[in-house]
Amino acid sequence: MIASLYVEGRTPFHRLPAGAKLLLLVLVGIGLAFLHSPWVLGGALVICAMPYVLLRLPFSETRRRLGLMVLTVLLLGLATAWFESPLAGLVACLRILALVLLAAAVTATSEIADMMAAVTRAMMPLERLGLIKAQDVGLALGLALRFAPEIAGRHQALVAAHRARGLKPRWCHILPALIVLTLKEADEVARAIDARGLRGHKASDR
Amino acid sequence: MSSRDLVLIALFAALVAVLGMIPPVTIGFLPVPITAQSMGVMLAGCILGARRGALAFLLLILMVAIGLPVLSGGRGGLAILAGPTAGYIFGWVAGAFVTGLLAERMVRESQNGPRQILGFALAALVGGIGVVYLFGTLWLAYAKGIALPAVLIGQLPFLAGDLLKVAIAALAARSVMVGYPLLPQRG
Repeated sequence: MIASLYVEGRTPFHRLPAGAKLLLLVLVGIGLAFLHSPWVLGGALVICAMPYVLLRLPFSETRRRLGLMVLTVLLLGLATAWFESPLAGLVACLRILALVLLAAAVTATSEIADMMAAVTRAMMPLERLGLIKAQDVGLALGLALRFAPEIAGRHQALVAAHRARGLKPRWCHILPALIVLTLKEADEVARAIDARGLRGHKASDR
Repeated sequence: MSSRDLVLIALFAALVAVLGMIPPVTIGFLPVPITAQSMGVMLAGCILGARRGALAFLLLILMVAIGLPVLSGGRGGLAILAGPTAGYIFGWVAGAFVTGLLAERMVRESQNGPRQILGFALAALVGGIGVVYLFGTLWLAYAKGIALPAVLIGQLPFLAGDLLKVAIAALAARSVMVGYPLLPQRG
């Protein structure tokens, strides 16, 4: 149900490791903040857009992924041009679009598993400090993915149940039921995890 | 962290992702369609409390970051977290935390119904609107170079829908408290 935004392909950007791409994105994000000339930013936009353009996604797909955001950026840029100066609006637009396109390319060329591995590696220093357990983060992520379709199904069942009784499905009626059912399920899953010792012997520190 | 907390956080993040899949509704007098997803901030704080509520949204951001389209309208990926509205997304974590902090202090199981609903509504108003808008505004104005008046005017159309969400979230949080109380109580 939750399909990832990864796109199969063999572009050079696909071959870069996910961790390297994430680092590149952070560095570009910081770097762009120091550029103020519209010409330099325009050049940066062309370079940053390259990996995304090379994906050759159909226009409809690009519109689904970025359409709303590009519209927001343009509106905000126009408003900035009005309130401050046309140059300020242009600079803000170019800077945001460059980073957004590069970020979209990173997401489209990295598989979920590779991203998760990169994130886990990035969390290692925090784990050594005892702040989080990377294993717990992975478990929580897996649970969220596993149960999202069930919760969506339950929501549809609640809507159908309301309709069958001639009631208009309203958020204020459906939400509490959906939440209580979800919380009850959480208790069952937690008991199952502890009963199977999935988090090691220290799991029961409640 | 107990297994129960971990699972509650995970399933609530999943619930917020599901709220994003419900098609947005347009209400006659409002200029923008409203989505159920940002109501999740208020619900997470009011139902799970500050710590678990904030962690549920950190998990949701992690899902977005690794490329899952869990935000409303099937959006997701790093582009969102680098884009103009990322401040609101990061603000959700702080918003859920503040909502939870206030709810934990203001709402008691011994109070009567209207009092509890009012407490939840106040918590959701401050955390779910105040804190989230503050983060979104600061991000747009100072990290992205958008003129401050443009930001303030741009988010006005969303305010009415968000006030409506405060009301729905407060009613829902009170119903859940009656049916399945989880909110940690603080003195």
